Amino acid sequence: MNARGLSLTVAARPENLAVIRQALAGYAEAMGFDPDAVADLKTIVTEASMNVVVHAYPDDAAGPLEVSARPHEEGIEIAVRDHGSGFKPPAEPEDPGLRLGLPLIATLSDQFEIRGGSEGTEVRMIVRPSVNGDAAEEAGEAIDPEEAQGTVMSIAAGTFVRPVLARVISALAARADFSIDRLSDSILIGDAVSAHDVSDFQDAMVGIEILDGDGRLEVRIGPLVEGGSDRIMRGLELPGGASLRQLASDIAVEHSPSEGADEPSEFLLITIDR
Amino acid sequence: MGQGVVSSERVEPGIEVITFSGEHDLNTTPQLRDKLTAAIQERVPVVVDLSGADFIDSSILGEVLDARHRAEDTGLGFAVVLTNGAPSVGRVLEVTGLDSSLPVHKTRAAAIKEARAGPSGG
Repeated sequence: MNARGLSLTVAARPENLAVIRQALAGYAEAMGFDPDAVADLKTIVTEASMNVVVHAYPDDAAGPLEVSARPHEEGIEIAVRDHGSGFKPPAEPEDPGLRLGLPLIATLSDQFEIRGGSEGTEVRMIVRPSVNGDAAEEAGEAIDPEEAQGTVMSIAAGTFVRPVLARVISALAARADFSIDRLSDSILIGDAVSAHDVSDFQDAMVGIEILDGDGRLEVRIGPLVEGGSDRIMRGLELPGGASLRQLASDIAVEHSPSEGADEPSEFLLITIDR
Repeated sequence: MGQGVVSSERVEPGIEVITFSGEHDLNTTPQLRDKLTAAIQERVPVVVDLSGADFIDSSILGEVLDARHRAEDTGLGFAVVLTNGAPSVGRVLEVTGLDSSLPVHKTRAAAIKEARAGPSGG
């Protein structure tokens, strides 16, 4: 993760392709990409992610699919990773769609490389147009290769949080068959979290995990500094006088031990029912 | 962004038109495959109208190509149309070369004409 980056982890399942696509589209729009470049980026990230869904894990397992994006001097650098047994594009795939995917990525991206190993495969792509980006350092995060649930995002606090979160919440709420009203409530909650003071998030990274299913979204926000949950709840006075407590179906605060810290980290849990 | 939906309608005289709304990827290929397979099994010529799709990926193109081969094998007409479609859909067809090799018609009327003419293009 880096100063202006985005990372996203979902289960490698077909229904999550739209979530990844929307998150990256929101990020690219916030980076000032024009609509055609956003469209190309959506194709590139969908094709690379689909390779993970189809090839990375055995049929009955959905391991993690990780997508990260960061500014690059020529645009955005996107990495799509899995923890599977290796990228195996068959020499003669039965499905003609799979024959078109890699050429699409190669044609629409500015640079494109595949690195494979025993611990998974990474496809790294650079997508134009150029934006002014700062060089940023890498810092990998440990991911359990056995488990992948929900959508886990880590976004540098600031400009990118709102567009990415709004698109991801919309995609997940649509998938959970939310009504238009509840969809709009969900986006309001996302907007309010996006606007919250960065100082309440540890390391200036907005961490959000969303579990969806059974007609509900469970949003876990953090790690937060102590008291951050209270301040988010108090701060979420929404237009029309609505508060977070009125919009959400349930709210809870969780304290989890955090590595290398004296005090436990705080997480705010918001449940939104259909 | 809406969930991708694939629909089909029977237009006179006996042409199945498959239409799309929203975004389409590996998650909606089963929907598309079912519609295409049903039409081919009923021996009805098929027009795939991509004009309503906001997004398609290579898995959708793969289903269309596969159905086209199956239609040809059974002597059925098959055509594709994109009228004022989403830029990303036109772009994917252009980059893969399918816009000319399929070909992709610009009007539904032209696509129906091709489908009606049969696999040799009439």
